Amino acid sequence: MLEADVELDRREFRLSAAFAVAAGERLALFGPSGAGKTTILEVIAGLQEPGRGTVVLDGRVLTRTAPPRRQVPPWQRRVGLLRQDPALFPHLSVRQNLAYAARTRPGPGTGRDEITRIAERLGIGGLVDDRPARLSGGQAHRVALGRLLASRCDALLLDEPYTGLDASLTRDLTDLVREVVAARQVPSVLVAHELEAAQAFADRMAVLDQGQILQLGSPAEVVAAPAARRVAELVGYRAFVPLPADPGTVAGVHPDRVVPGRQPGRGVVLAGPVRSCRPAGAGWEATIEMVTIETASAETAGVGAGGAGAGGTLVPVRLREAPAGGRDFTFTVLAPPCFRPDGTRVTRAEEVPT
Amino acid sequence: MSWAASPPAQVAGSALRRTVGSASGVASLAGALVIWVALLGPVITLLTHLSWHQITTALAVPGALDPLLVSVESGAITLAVLLLLGTPLAWKLARGSLPFPRVWEAGVLCSLLLPPLVIGLLLIFMVGPFTPIGELLGHVHLSATNTFLALVIAEVYESAPYYVLGAQAAFAAVDPAIEEQAALLGDRPSRVARRVTLPLAAPGLAMALAVAWARAMGAFGAVVIIAYHPYGIPLQIWTTLQETGLPTALPFALVLLVVALPLPLAAYFWSARARGRRRA
Repeated sequence: MLEADVELDRREFRLSAAFAVAAGERLALFGPSGAGKTTILEVIAGLQEPGRGTVVLDGRVLTRTAPPRRQVPPWQRRVGLLRQDPALFPHLSVRQNLAYAARTRPGPGTGRDEITRIAERLGIGGLVDDRPARLSGGQAHRVALGRLLASRCDALLLDEPYTGLDASLTRDLTDLVREVVAARQVPSVLVAHELEAAQAFADRMAVLDQGQILQLGSPAEVVAAPAARRVAELVGYRAFVPLPADPGTVAGVHPDRVVPGRQPGRGVVLAGPVRSCRPAGAGWEATIEMVTIETASAETAGVGAGGAGAGGTLVPVRLREAPAGGRDFTFTVLAPPCFRPDGTRVTRAEEVPT
Repeated sequence: MSWAASPPAQVAGSALRRTVGSASGVASLAGALVIWVALLGPVITLLTHLSWHQITTALAVPGALDPLLVSVESGAITLAVLLLLGTPLAWKLARGSLPFPRVWEAGVLCSLLLPPLVIGLLLIFMVGPFTPIGELLGHVHLSATNTFLALVIAEVYESAPYYVLGAQAAFAAVDPAIEEQAALLGDRPSRVARRVTLPLAAPGLAMALAVAWARAMGAFGAVVIIAYHPYGIPLQIWTTLQETGLPTALPFALVLLVVALPLPLAAYFWSARARGRRRA
């Protein structure tokens, strides 16, 4: 169990985050660049001292700013940190890299057989006598992971380790880390600024912005029911359409959470001309200029030219088939979350079908 | 407009490029050769002006090789002093962990930029017999003028900046992220230094030490003022040249080269190999 409660003044904002990660659990800290995610990992690893806070790992107090003060140095924490740079020791062979911690932390798990076993399981068994400079990016990351495994760390921190690698390699390595966390039953924290990376890894996700945790929940929950407009923006809601029945309140439209056609029982129905359309993934991404909106609480309202509110709001949607051009396109936004002008969430029964 | 360039123009262009490319290639090779030969020129001249007979007669004089011993001993002590005191300074400079880092760097540069003769003059004012330091040394029956100690002090002043600046560059080239991983894997700072920082900086440190050795062996400017005795090889060359002329001084020049060069060359080849292994 890893418990962190971190407060730290940064130039632009005050970082303040508290969370706990159970043994074998995978938490993702998701947020834009500069939100303070990496700082949290560095505080847990002991590379930075927080202004105020505590870090407790399996009952061991690693950091405590309140008296009796405690700041365990990084080399006594048994916390593994993977960064984008695998930071292998270039003067040592792969085997020596894997066995690096054996001298400071001898015991089961660091013997020659164990190193061979770890190398084989990570698919680098044939490379143990090579120097790191000969390895590919993916192989180097496998060695870095193996080195942490052999060091028998009690918590695993991942600071966007696989940013910049190709998609299939990222998938393999992420799966590998998930296996490792399950097998070793260590708490793990991934920092990600890409939603997909966070979703692929985590079973719980904390959305961080400007140093604050805005929402903590399962990846599915966070995307389906963002707690605030800022969270919605971060997880991919790209249009916010005004609701005619409640001036100032907007409904969030996620491009993936729409179906073509009019289905008023399932959400909000929008219609308007197609402004652009391009291939995206296996389908299409179209941009619709919203002209009419139909909600359960109000009659169809025109918001186009001359209409009230934000007429001409552009709404991007992703569809399996390209909409026919030249005609108004009608689609239903499934159970859109609604937000007040101040960005807080408001539950409007009529927008959320039971 | 079509993106495809017309084939004839392309062929002509690439032929022109090849001609220009090979012409500039030949020119740069020739330039490189000229500067290389020019740099090696003095060594070649030395070898062509020396006969075996000359060398043996010059070196057969009783006590002729004493300066060699003095130079090697003082050089070795100088290296030890640089290693012990210069290495921590270089490491701190590289990591920026000293207060007012620019001031420290300027201090190191100062001894590099001052003409050695001036250093010698200033050293007299600093450690001469009538200075506080000189008096302090007098209490323990030591003197820092015209003694072996003075020779070592002069050599340290002449070679220290070469070592400290070279070592600083060597430490700066070690990626802090690698040291950070070593710490997270359980090594306290002294072990990180022993297992990661020093091995990674070693090729650069060796080169810096080799350059410092060559400087110490050839130190003359400060030495001639503060440590005229005991003779090291550079002073031996100087006095022989003054007293008996060029032909008798040349053999000692060869001795100086033979003593001063192998270590730097060995260090160079070793560090080049170590770097190559790490990169490949």
